[in-house]
Formats: sequence, C-alpha cells, structure tokens
Amino acid sequence: MAHLNQPVAAPLPVARLQIGAIARLRWQIFRNSLRTMRGRMEFVSWIFIAIWFAALGFGGAFGLGIGAWWVVARNQTQWLAALLWPIFMFWTFFPLIATAFTEAFDSASLLRYPLNYSSFFTVNLIYGSLDASTMVCGLWLLGVTLGIAIAAPAFSLWTLVVLIVFGLTCLFLVRAVFAWIDRWLAQRKTREIMGVLFFVCIICFQMIGPLINRFGHRHMQLPAYLAQAIAIQRFLPAGLAAEAILRALHAEWGLAAAAFSMLVAYSAAFLLLFHLRLRAQYVGENFGEAPSRASQSTQKTEARSGWTVPGLTGPLAAMIEKEVRYLSRASQTLFTLVMPMVVLLIFRFNANPARPRSRIVTTAYAFPVGVAYALLILTNLIYNSFADDSAGIQFYFLAPVRFRQVLIAKNFVHAAILAIEALLVWIAASFFYGRPETVIVAITLTALLFAAPLNLIFGNLLSIYSPKKHDFGSFGRQRASGASALAGLAVQVVIIATSVVAIMIGKHFGNLWFAILMLAVFAAIACAAYRISLNRIDGIGRDKREQLIAILAKSS
Amino acid sequence: MDTPAISTENLTRRFGDFLPVDGVNLRVTTGQFFGFLGPNGAGKSTTIKMLTGLLAPSAGRIQILGLDLDSDPIEVKRNIGVVPEGMALFGRLTGPEYLNFAGRMYGLDRDTAAKRTTELLEFMQLDREPKKLITDYSHGMQKKLALAAAVIHGPRILFLDEPFEGVDAIASGTLKAMLQRMIARGVTIFLTSHVLEIVERLCSHLAIIHQGKLVAQGSLEELRSGVEAMAPSQGSSSTPGEKLTLEEIFLRIVGGSRTDDTQELSWLT
Repeated sequence: MAHLNQPVAAPLPVARLQIGAIARLRWQIFRNSLRTMRGRMEFVSWIFIAIWFAALGFGGAFGLGIGAWWVVARNQTQWLAALLWPIFMFWTFFPLIATAFTEAFDSASLLRYPLNYSSFFTVNLIYGSLDASTMVCGLWLLGVTLGIAIAAPAFSLWTLVVLIVFGLTCLFLVRAVFAWIDRWLAQRKTREIMGVLFFVCIICFQMIGPLINRFGHRHMQLPAYLAQAIAIQRFLPAGLAAEAILRALHAEWGLAAAAFSMLVAYSAAFLLLFHLRLRAQYVGENFGEAPSRASQSTQKTEARSGWTVPGLTGPLAAMIEKEVRYLSRASQTLFTLVMPMVVLLIFRFNANPARPRSRIVTTAYAFPVGVAYALLILTNLIYNSFADDSAGIQFYFLAPVRFRQVLIAKNFVHAAILAIEALLVWIAASFFYGRPETVIVAITLTALLFAAPLNLIFGNLLSIYSPKKHDFGSFGRQRASGASALAGLAVQVVIIATSVVAIMIGKHFGNLWFAILMLAVFAAIACAAYRISLNRIDGIGRDKREQLIAILAKSS
Repeated sequence: MDTPAISTENLTRRFGDFLPVDGVNLRVTTGQFFGFLGPNGAGKSTTIKMLTGLLAPSAGRIQILGLDLDSDPIEVKRNIGVVPEGMALFGRLTGPEYLNFAGRMYGLDRDTAAKRTTELLEFMQLDREPKKLITDYSHGMQKKLALAAAVIHGPRILFLDEPFEGVDAIASGTLKAMLQRMIARGVTIFLTSHVLEIVERLCSHLAIIHQGKLVAQGSLEELRSGVEAMAPSQGSSSTPGEKLTLEEIFLRIVGGSRTDDTQELSWLT
C-alpha cells in the first residue's frame, strides 16, 4: 500500500499562511455579514465611526506634528513629554473605556488547529491590535515623528526608533491588560471582583482632579505637586520616550541611551506579561466553575412562590421578577446605576470654595444633569434589552404570552429604575447642592416623561432589529451594536435639542412653566407613540424572531 | 375520526432558493410517542421549529390539537411543552427560579408553580443545589431542567429536539423515565434524535424526512414491512428471519450506505 508510506499528518503550515487564512476568513465573515439588513446597518454605522476616528487621527497627527516641530525648533524640548503623554493615555485607556470601538478578537477557537505558539502569539497581537485606538495613536506618533524630523532632520532616525519602541510598549501594555482582564472575566467570582475594582478605579480616577482642586491647596502647593509629577513621569514610558529624544537633541547620548534602555525594558516587561497569559491559553486552561460534589447541599429544596405585582397578571409579574433577579446579578450594571450620584459628588468636589466660578454644575443644574446622566446610562440596557437573555430568548416565543408583554415587563423595570434613579439624584442634588427649585424639578421630570417613552420606543425596536448578545466572559463584548449606539445617540440629541428649544421659548416669554406645558404636550405625544409602537411590536417580534434567536441563542 | 395531535398540510420552508422543508404532510395521533428522523440537514430541526412557533412556515398549514398555529398561537402554546435545540434557559437564574418563572409564564398560579417546581426538581435530582445558577449547571443538568420547564404546566403535547444529545447514561435514564410516565398518561411526544437505538426503544411511530421531503411515516412495523417489500435482501446485516433494525430501515430509506472506496480520501491513512 503506497499511501502508507506517506506522512501521517500534513506538515505544519507556516505562520504566514495561517495568518493569511485568518485574514481571508475575517474578510469572508465581513462580506457575508453584508447579506443581512442588520449587517448592512452595522457597516453604515461603522463608516460614520471610521470617519470620526479618521478625523481624530489625522487632525491629531497634524496638531501633534506642529507641536513637535515647535518644541524642537524653538528649543522647548522639555514639553516633548506633554505631547507623548496624551498618546499613551489615549492608547491605554480608550480601549478600556470605549469598548464599543475596541476589537474583541477571540483567538481561543484557533487552538484546535495545528498552530504553533509563535503563530498563535502573532495572530493575537496583530488581530487584537486592529482597533481604533491603535490606528489613531499610530497616526499621532507618525505626526510627532514627522514634526521632529522636519525640525531636526539629523535626529529623525533616532526619533523613529524611539517612537516605534514607545508605540510597541503601548501596544504590548494594552494587549497584556486585555488578555489578563479576559482571564479574570472568564470566571464569575473573579468577574465580580473585577467589576467592583473597575468601578472603584473609575471613581477614584475621576475623584483625583476634584479632590486636588478642593483640598490640594491646603497640603501641597501646585508647583510642588507638578514638580513631583514631572519627576515621576520621567520614569514612565511616555516620559522615557520623551527623555530619550530630548537628551539626544542635546547630544547627551549616554542619558538618551539609558532612557531608551528603560523604555525597552518596559516594553519587554509588558511583552512578558502578554506572553505569560497567551502561553497559559495555548497550553490549555480550564475555568470550569462547577462546585465539587462535597460542596453540594444535602438539604432538599422547597421552592418559594414567585412575586405578585398588584394590578399585573401572573406572567407579567413573573417577567418582572426575572428581570429584577437578572439585574441584581449583574454587578457591573448595578454599579453603573450609582454613577449619576457619584458624578454629582465629583462635580461638587470639583468646585473650589474660594472660586465659586469654578463650579461646573450649579444648584440649578445639578438635578437635570444627574437625571440626564441616569437616562444616558440606562440606554445601555434599553437599547439592547435581550442581550443578557441569550438562549432564553426562545422561551418568549414558546410560552403562551404575547411578545408585547415581554417588552412591557422589561420597559416597566427600566422605567422603575429610572424613577428610582431620579429620586436618588434628587436626594443627592439636595444634599450636595441644596434643594432644587420646584420649577427646575418640574421641567426635568416633564422632560423625562418625554424622553423615557421615546427611548423605550427606539430601544424596543433596536433591541429587536439589532440585537447583540452579551458575553460577560470576554472583555469588550458587553456592548450594544454599533447601529444601536449611533441611533441611541441620535435620539438623545433630538430629545436634548427639543427640550432646550422648549426651555428657551419659556425663557423668552419669561415663564418657565410655559416650557413645562410644551414638554408635557411632547410627553403626551411620546406616550401615545409608545402605545402605538407596542401595538405593532407583536408583529415585528414575530417577523424578527428567527434573527433574534439566531443571534442571541447561538453559543459564543 | 379523532382530531390528530399534530397535523401539517403541505408544510414548506424556504430560505432563498433553498427548500429545507418541502411540502411535508405529517399526522401524529394523540398519545403517540412519535420519532422524527432524518440525516443531518434533512429538515428535522426546521420542521420542529415551525411546529413550535419558533420559525414561520413559508407555506402550508399547521394544526395542533385541531387549533391552527398561525391564527391561534397562544392557545396552541398553552397546550404544548418544548425542549428546543438551545434549551431556552436563562443562565442567570437558579433552577428553582427558572421553573417557577416557566410555570407562571404558562399561566400557573404562584402556589401551584412553586409546588410543581419542588416536585420536578426532586424527580430530576436537581434539588441539591438550589442556589446554583443555571449557567454553572452541567449539560446533562441543563437538559433535565429544560425538560422540567417544558412539562411544568402539564402539556398535552411535548416537542423534544435532540433531548439525549450530550447526556450521560444517568441523566438519560431520568429523562426516559419522565417521558414514559407522560406517555402512560396520554401525552403525545414528538421527538427528534440521531440516536436510533433510543428512538427504536421509545417510539411507537416514526417519520423520516430526507432532503426536505417526508419519505416515510408510520409505525416501526409498517416501515419495516414497507422496506422489506421494496428490496427484501438489500444491504441487510440481519440473518434470515431476524427483523431489520431501525438503523437498517433508516439507511435503506435515505440511501445512506457507503461502499468501501479506497480511492477516496486515500491521504487519510
């Protein structure tokens, strides 16, 4: 048998071929996604987003290029770090904050193929880096490089080398952070801890400025603080990159080499962190969370009766109970609901008692700002309301209930949260800024009555037309679709514009109650529109059930 | 003549030019344990999705217990229980919470839902970890829970899409015990499965779908005699006088046997 002499398996394909195959696969997935209306909507929304980022990238590159040219040409090189720090901050923090624009590349599925580790690593690095922040920061670095090269052509090669290493440092840092966050998100317990830590970090980060503003003058003079900060930043990647270029420009090559070496060390350290995580993935990990048999209870269960909600039918009460239980187990979502009060606190601290003009939010605006922020946060839930249901979406179409009942229950819970948030914001605003005037409260609540039904209408429609499954085990996959995000933004712009026009008219006539009357009319129209939309939602749900099930019930 | 539990008339589903289900006429009598078989991609799941309201037919009519699914979907759903392909579970609920929720969505009052939840959890041996979230359940536990949720309201017809897929022998035993108990009480069960041995052991009646068309329907005996009448000795591994197994019947009907061809895929060894 001649064929028995042939090798048992084909030789391992080279990494280049595999990377090419993945590129083709991703292109085919993209091309195939355009076959559906939802895919085409996503594509259009991405075009808008790409235009915005292109403007940011090229505009920023031009500005930073001019800045770099100026600091070198005018011998103000001590400001070079000030150009590199924004790039470093944007590159590292933007992907974490704005996950909607971040590439969430899941390479774990590639492990079934005969991929050697270097290919696996390369694929992860390349495809994980194809996101907006890398593109924008790459352009910005190019701008800085060109600016310096024009001002001091003799140093262009050195600048290029330093900034390439600086870019790689940022890239490795972001990839390492993402890889480790994914690791911690893979298990529910670590996920909960991560959620709390992330939330605390965000609050602490936002509190730094206001606290310094408020208390800083008592303990530390600003120049002293700045001097300390400048001294510290020299040992961090952006400072080191600036130092390496700056010292070279002053012909201090020894110091330049030292700074560059430290930058390379940072780069290597981040690369090592990234490698450790990927290596663990590559050799195989098990994040099974099933408790051991010994931990199982020997006590039998006596099921408790479900909730009753006065005036609502059993299925509606059951749906509401399910929604509340789901929310109570989504710690990340719960934490975001506290943010409106935190923001009011931050703004309050931001106000320097010695400088009343420093107040961003005054007593008059505290309540409206807090409520608007609460509504904005809630849009994350409203515009993708089936995201957490996953395979459970099938149940809504199997149970003897109308689809509108499902959405009414979800909307009921969202509206209740909004009402509670408004109350909490009112308490926080009263506590931090003094009790808001009645007319301000009335305007805000009437505007909310106008905004809430409108958001629920569009939220319901986009939840059906453009659903996206949440994957809590992977960073950056907890977001709504791009189309939903853009549509949500457009709805908020319309609501804010309409409310502002109503208030301006009220002010013009010297009576804000006139604005309230106008907003009340808009609210009545919005409520009527909501009712009409509910009447049509059964048909829409029926027409779109296959798409909903296909997207939400698929295993991730 | 009794109203059939399930009947379809020229049931068709089209995806563009592709016809996964093409003019299927099914008839399932009340109380039957009905096995719906077919090779991969034959149209089994598409058919069961249409029968349970998860997918709209492109043409044709579905009647469940004499009710038209299209015009009276809520009443139909009240009378059926379904374990679909994805199991329709809510991962962030516990088992007791999910069953309670399912019971109430099917119109049970609070106390009845709670009582049945307790009983079902005990029967399915899922009562030891009441606080465990469904997302942390094993596959077998999830299948058992999905079946419990499908029967909590006492349906007259039960639809099961691959209920034994990925289930170990112990969980499979529990599932079978539950199904046999239901059949004994007059419930109609409509089941799709690739495990022909299980279908042969459980089902009294069968239908086979192939390339979207219904190619056989009847009791196992009827199918066997039909196949034997077609080609008495073709491809049978059974000795003379021995009955054809369901696998043999199935392979003869769908023409799935493959001759040994050493020229094909020679690089595999």
